[in-house]
Amino acid sequence: MRYIYILSLVILVSAATTASAGYREIFEKEFLSKPWSTDIVAESSCIECHTSEVMDEKFRSIPQDWRVSWHAQNNVSCHDCHGGDSEDASMAMSHKRGFIGSPNYTDIPDMCGKCHIGILKNYVESGHGKALIEEGTGPNCITCHGSHNVQKVHIDIINAQLCSKCHPYERAKIMKQALFLTDKKIESIEDDLADLRKQGVYPDREEKSLFNTQAQFRTLFHTIDVAVVKDKTNFFTSELNGIEDEIKATFEELSFRKKFSTFLMLIFAGSWAIITLIIRSKD
Amino acid sequence: MWQKLKDGIEIRIGLTDLIENRLRQYRVPSDTNIFYTLGIVTMAAYVVQAITGYFLLMYYVPHSEHAFRSVQDIMTIIPFGWFVRMVHMVAANLMVALLFIHFISIFFMGSYKKPREITWLAGGLLLLVTLAFCLSGYLLPWSQRSYWATTIVSNLPTAFPVIGDALANLLRGGDSVTGVTLTRFFSLHVGFLPPVFLSIVGLHIFLVWRIGLSVPPLSQSAEEESEWTEFRHATYSRSYPFYPNFLLKEVSMIMLFLAVTFFIMSFMPTLFLPEAATTPADPLNTPADIKPEWYFLAPYQMLKMIPNKFLGISLQIIAIIVFLFWPFFDTRAERNIMKRPLIFGLFLVLLALWFLLTYWGRYSA
Amino acid sequence: MKRRSFLGVLGTIFGVTAFGSVAYPLLRYLGPPQAKIDAGKQSFKKADVGDAREIVFQNTPAIIINRPGKGYIALSRVCTHLGCLIDYDRKSKKLICPCHAGFFNLEGRVESGPPPKALTTFPLRVEGEDIIIG
Repeated sequence: MRYIYILSLVILVSAATTASAGYREIFEKEFLSKPWSTDIVAESSCIECHTSEVMDEKFRSIPQDWRVSWHAQNNVSCHDCHGGDSEDASMAMSHKRGFIGSPNYTDIPDMCGKCHIGILKNYVESGHGKALIEEGTGPNCITCHGSHNVQKVHIDIINAQLCSKCHPYERAKIMKQALFLTDKKIESIEDDLADLRKQGVYPDREEKSLFNTQAQFRTLFHTIDVAVVKDKTNFFTSELNGIEDEIKATFEELSFRKKFSTFLMLIFAGSWAIITLIIRSKD
Repeated sequence: MWQKLKDGIEIRIGLTDLIENRLRQYRVPSDTNIFYTLGIVTMAAYVVQAITGYFLLMYYVPHSEHAFRSVQDIMTIIPFGWFVRMVHMVAANLMVALLFIHFISIFFMGSYKKPREITWLAGGLLLLVTLAFCLSGYLLPWSQRSYWATTIVSNLPTAFPVIGDALANLLRGGDSVTGVTLTRFFSLHVGFLPPVFLSIVGLHIFLVWRIGLSVPPLSQSAEEESEWTEFRHATYSRSYPFYPNFLLKEVSMIMLFLAVTFFIMSFMPTLFLPEAATTPADPLNTPADIKPEWYFLAPYQMLKMIPNKFLGISLQIIAIIVFLFWPFFDTRAERNIMKRPLIFGLFLVLLALWFLLTYWGRYSA
Repeated sequence: MKRRSFLGVLGTIFGVTAFGSVAYPLLRYLGPPQAKIDAGKQSFKKADVGDAREIVFQNTPAIIINRPGKGYIALSRVCTHLGCLIDYDRKSKKLICPCHAGFFNLEGRVESGPPPKALTTFPLRVEGEDIIIG
């Protein structure tokens, strides 16, 4: 008898539902096609046009390059460098909205330097920078770093193939050797920090001080002066050692936590065993 | 001196009488198994939650700009803050698991039958309150995981026609999860739910004590099978005193529960703490793989699979109602589930379905 | 010793240890946290109007700015974006992060760029020729 109630309840609701099928179709579509409630940020009109069929092949690959870039991963989009209005398709490339478009070869450092202020200052003083400003021929930022698919920098960006395009690799090699140890140290600290994150720690203070040290290091070597790098290496080593010590202390703390909770586990497991024995001896 | 103090208390409270008449003479059927201790172990888990929760409250800041930092400070700067928070988090998950097992075993042993229907109903309400505790507590650390899991779950009510959006907005205090949601869930978690929980748990325990423990089906100490036409405490042919025998059993199981808690804390500390839980909430950036917590996975996956959302959510609400009032639907006196293959089969199918959906929800896109 | 009483003694020992090892962390938890400010006050020399002085306050690089018409302010130099050290630009009266062009005004609030929140402000007092922070 009771089951009939349940059954009729189910039938009643299903009937009502089927009757209202097609209800709020938009909702249904939204519900199934994407993770719930995560509003897809409207694609910028730059990307919309540049990926469309009518676009020239040369320009159509730009969004693809950008999507895998370090900039894309850090939410730096087209208009952040090129200006313009990414939300208004008709005015997207209007110079009134600050559109720059494709800069001249010699204007590129200024474009990148809008954000990378420190590096720009450094670069302008370097042989590379002077050659560009005075003769218009020196390498600019994208000569080494690429443009749309710019990646997180690795020390191997200094390599025979790239450097020997303009001058013998020997000079660059000496620079690379001077950077090598500090760079390796930064890399190993990065790995440790990633490891800490996996273990449930939020090492933001260490991450920030590492980034600061790394940034100072970078602005230093864009002057391409080996003597300056060698001179400052000790300073960076001690800074990095400081961060390493903090990380080591955190790892030690984690191992203490593990020991402490293992101890408690044993105590409670022991209590369980003893009480079980007491119960047995009573029976 | 000691004796004097003891006598003084004895005269005023009558402890001996209490222990003798209320505990020692309180009988428990002699073939109770370890499943009979699940209730008290779950209760112990709640006590652990209350204590650690109270301690967390001292340093936690319920504000969207400070919540994440304050939780991280508890984890790193406050001495043994990690201990308090990890126990709170691990025991919360174990508590839900214990509740599930408690329900399954009660169902399996048919203990919900007359006269214990209200005990079941109170237990069912406790499960719902617990899930509300979990849902609200989950958001408080204000991490990526909290933020997006709450976004998903708080969107479930939108499956209702007409009132759905209003319902979801009422829950969140806005169109999306914001600082308003945080303070709302915080007040729910520490202000509203605890007294509600305590009153229902009071009723639940009172009923268990008043009626007496049920006897496992097929047991030697079966109570006299006569109609329950008027109230009586359960009687058993073979029994033993609650104090100290059964109480010791219960305490030993609580110890085991604590040992398991610390086992997880030592050897699987990140089981309930993935990377998304140590990343501050970012409303503009959805993490790649975000899922509700394991106990919400099955309903979540079910809702995702049924094309008509209204049908999906209606089925779930019917399921909850049927679950809550199950003892009133299933009124046959037969308590041995083996003699009722249809119910037994249905129960196993539902259980398998739950596991399947959970697994599916975890590993599907 | 009988088995029963031996178990009783052992149980008591375990019980007391268990209680102690849970009570200890909770007591430590209640103890006052190591306050960062407790290193006390530090005093620094004044700066000219419109000028700034870079200092280190309790291991945090900081800056004291003598704002024209508004008096002194002490701010942390650690950018809230990724932790680079910001610089004071005398000309534009702004604080600029060299890494990703975060601009802060002289109250420490974000004017433009990627930083998510304002710079930390340190409480400060002027006493005679000295500035006391902390």
